[in-house]
Amino acid sequence: MATAKQPKSILKKATYPATTSSKEDRDREVALYHANLIQQRKDIELNILLSTETLIDYPLAKAPYDASNPSLADATEFKRLLRPFQPSDYDELIHERNINEKCGYTLCPNPRVKDGIGGKYRIIGTNGKAKDFKVVEKEELEKWCSEVCAKRALYVRVQLSESPAWEREAAGSTVNIDLLDEPKPVDGAIVEGLGKMSLDGGTGGKQQDVANLALERGDTGMAAKNGLVDVKVQEKEVHRPAQAPSLDDLSGRLDTMHLTLEGHTPEFGSRRERRHAEELEDDDGPDTDWRM
Amino acid sequence: MSTDEEKAKKQREAGEREAARLWRAWRTVHEMVQDRGYELTDEEVKISFDDFKEKFSNPGEAGIIEQMKFSARPSDAMIVRYSNPPTAADPNPPSPDIGTIWIEFLPDSSVGIKQMRAFAQYLSANNFHTGILITNVNITPAALKIIPAVAAETRIECFVESDLLVNITHHELVPRHVLLSKEERTALLQRYRLKDTQLPRIQLGDPVARYLGLRRGQVVKIIRKSETAGRYASYRLCV
Repeated sequence: MATAKQPKSILKKATYPATTSSKEDRDREVALYHANLIQQRKDIELNILLSTETLIDYPLAKAPYDASNPSLADATEFKRLLRPFQPSDYDELIHERNINEKCGYTLCPNPRVKDGIGGKYRIIGTNGKAKDFKVVEKEELEKWCSEVCAKRALYVRVQLSESPAWEREAAGSTVNIDLLDEPKPVDGAIVEGLGKMSLDGGTGGKQQDVANLALERGDTGMAAKNGLVDVKVQEKEVHRPAQAPSLDDLSGRLDTMHLTLEGHTPEFGSRRERRHAEELEDDDGPDTDWRM
Repeated sequence: MSTDEEKAKKQREAGEREAARLWRAWRTVHEMVQDRGYELTDEEVKISFDDFKEKFSNPGEAGIIEQMKFSARPSDAMIVRYSNPPTAADPNPPSPDIGTIWIEFLPDSSVGIKQMRAFAQYLSANNFHTGILITNVNITPAALKIIPAVAAETRIECFVESDLLVNITHHELVPRHVLLSKEERTALLQRYRLKDTQLPRIQLGDPVARYLGLRRGQVVKIIRKSETAGRYASYRLCV
């Protein structure tokens, strides 16, 4: 008796209930998602290039300020522009400054030192301990105006994130950089700082809160931002008149009431273990299965 | 002979060697620009060493290298080769994407963002479509990132002087590369019923591709000598 019914494959389902959009739509979405990622990356790279270009001409403030006492405006701008940098980008900035005969430390107005003597390498630390003795390339020494500046610049370098800016998580974008020599507080600076405090309370604080919340929820990746993962929060609505707790339904638990934490009574040991213990009590004496 | 005389002689010889280097690079650049299809006279291209020294050794002026710059206009044949053929969908195609070229030698011992930016500004200020910058040293990676950033306004190509001392296309092992026009390209693809991605490829950074200033999507015909077939032509798509 042949029936017209088609044999049904057990291997795969003919249709997946989840797919509502067509294949082209999904393909387009995926392509757009990756295109956006690449565009974002290009934007950041261009940003870094422009920042480098700006920072070559730093510091903008003149005479009374120097590397040990940078002006507040320069220092804050320097820190802000440096945020998306990787250490390699920072090295390029130092190199570019050196090409323009400036000290590698961005907030230093001095020219870099150049000894006119030939040779590719220099020997340093000859009159100190043996462990200080080093042979280094001449260019390494000629990057800075002084040793202090080298220290300052490298102090900033170690704080930069190794991961590229487009891969950093939400918390990474607000990373703060400290200078070895922070700008000295002047009266004006205090007023400025006070003004900034209130500002942070307004918009900046809110943004920070949102970023923190996102971090806590775990929506840090690009997927969550671009909506590849569709998260909808559905509230469970309860329509029942509220009832005051009464002693009647508590009577069974009165002896454990003192253990209750916010309505939950902790139980010690897992259920299976407890059940096992009860079963053992039922048996007469210890196990004797192993005896013949 | 005193030591001063010896020193002077040595200095003169060093200057002569440097001038010879520059002359060779100068000739190669001219040949390159001419091979791309820009208008240059044969006297300009085949300048002899003596003429070169005479041309650039004005006393009182800066060194030779600072004066080494020139521009060239695309020839009619080149304009035709780069033109976009009208199609049914687009009866008035945009004009060919070429224009005057500016070539400059840079004497600086290091080339960074500043120099590159200045060159780009000079090109766009003078409405040069393409610029070729020839340097003594490698350009810093940060400065190279400027090229795509200004690509909308002007096209910058960079060469190192030592790469231009000999013209690589004159070597016997380098076959002749001929750029195809858009019409020839479509004819080729129709003839062999290909999509352009099915052609063999040549990289944008290939020395010959750089020499010819190829752009992504252009097709070159490569004509080799073959022992069995006499001549063998193959086609490559620039990627």
